[in-house]
Amino acid sequence: MNILIVEDEVLLAMELESELEAAGHSILGVAMSRGDAFAIVEATRPDFAFVDIHLKDGPSGVDVGRRLASIGVPYVFMTGNLKRIPDDFAGAIGAIEKPYSVNGFRHALSYLVKRVRGDLADTVAPPSLVLPVQPSEQEGSAVMDVWKTRA
Amino acid sequence: MLAEHSVGDPFADAFRHTRMPMIITDPAQQDNPIIFSNAAFSKLTGYGQDELIGRNCRILQGPDTDPDSVTAIRHAIAAEESISVDLLNYRKNGTTFWNALFVSPVRSASGEVRYFFASQLDFTHIKNREVDLAAARTKAESEVARRTAQLEHALEAKTVLVHEVDHRVKNNLHSVASLLKLKSRMSESSVAKAALASVLERIEAISTVQRKLFTTDDVANFDVAAFARDIAVDMVGASGRKDVKLDLQLFPVVIPAPKASPLALIVNELIGDAMRRGLRDGGGTISVMVKRLNGHFVIEVSDDVEPVPVDPEEDGFSRIVLEASARQLDASIDRKQHGRKTTVRVQLPVK
Repeated sequence: MNILIVEDEVLLAMELESELEAAGHSILGVAMSRGDAFAIVEATRPDFAFVDIHLKDGPSGVDVGRRLASIGVPYVFMTGNLKRIPDDFAGAIGAIEKPYSVNGFRHALSYLVKRVRGDLADTVAPPSLVLPVQPSEQEGSAVMDVWKTRA
Repeated sequence: MLAEHSVGDPFADAFRHTRMPMIITDPAQQDNPIIFSNAAFSKLTGYGQDELIGRNCRILQGPDTDPDSVTAIRHAIAAEESISVDLLNYRKNGTTFWNALFVSPVRSASGEVRYFFASQLDFTHIKNREVDLAAARTKAESEVARRTAQLEHALEAKTVLVHEVDHRVKNNLHSVASLLKLKSRMSESSVAKAALASVLERIEAISTVQRKLFTTDDVANFDVAAFARDIAVDMVGASGRKDVKLDLQLFPVVIPAPKASPLALIVNELIGDAMRRGLRDGGGTISVMVKRLNGHFVIEVSDDVEPVPVDPEEDGFSRIVLEASARQLDASIDRKQHGRKTTVRVQLPVK
């Protein structure tokens, strides 16, 4: 996929870029503010976007998200504070909580790729990806095949 | 009347000399006039006995006297019933006092009402105290409101600060992870890559604590079970190994924040160890149990993967991290191996 990264922490953005490229994707651009993000989206159309909520010009990631949703670009939020996300997730597929782990991110990425391509089949969203509607907490004993759908 | 009750009559003497103001009225005469009053009444009202005899006691009423109270007295007298009522009365000199008035009919032997008896009690000082009390309470309430506003403002400022610090801590932890990943990508040697990845794994465990600490309502607590599930599921999921199954027996175990990082490292070591051995072979099942038991928390990870030799350096590092974290929490580590099955149990006191 051609991916847009909206993130104001340079180290993080670099790392994210490397991780995505290693997974076979290409990076359309890195935007550090709402303005930059809008400019990139005007010029090109990403297949997917990772959008940090807190940008150089304040918590404007949600605005970027809404713009992406309005033109049908699938995306997820990345944030250290889930409470900043509106209840409807502004049209995002979900949110990845920061700081995320390598495993958590890769697991979320593989799910997202499947979802964008439309071949989710048996796949269940991993815990590292927070969805707008949360499934109930699982308590007690459960033999879990991570690859199977939850009942 | 005075003739009937001459001096020396104990009842008359009591009436004359008591400190309680009293009067007697005669309903048989027109307008129910006062026919006797005592010295205490004169002292209270400022009227001499000669100014009172023949007059109705409404002379004590004035502009601020509550008309409803007056009406109640009139009805009681008409109904020949007793009444207790508080009302504002006026002295001869125009000053006011609060009167706890008691009026009752006095009946003859045949049951007819012959006289009305009334006693008065000046409770102005109590009334004043009531007013003072009300004023003091209002003042206290506004002071409380002011202090509450101050505290709410301080709490708000503190909350903003906590959010700020949390945001910064998370960013810093993420930056640390990013630096490790960057260095690892740039390293040619697989030894260097492995070393950095090994450290990164533990730093991510600590980072996960920070993530899970804040998102619960109570900032100071941490749910070990939720953490264990996330780590286990993400580890297996990221491995892509469909032959590794997870058996999770997780019950909510909430611990105070200071214990969270060492405990997260422990959980990470136990599950990571099982995964590392499992990855080298045909998979298997990893069981993770987190629960409370008799005043202790128990974390147990067992697996049935084929026990294979692991990299001694990595294994050594893992054990040190595990033992240091256990010592931090006064926890015990118990390791058992029966054929394919390896079980590691960590137990720590609830306090």
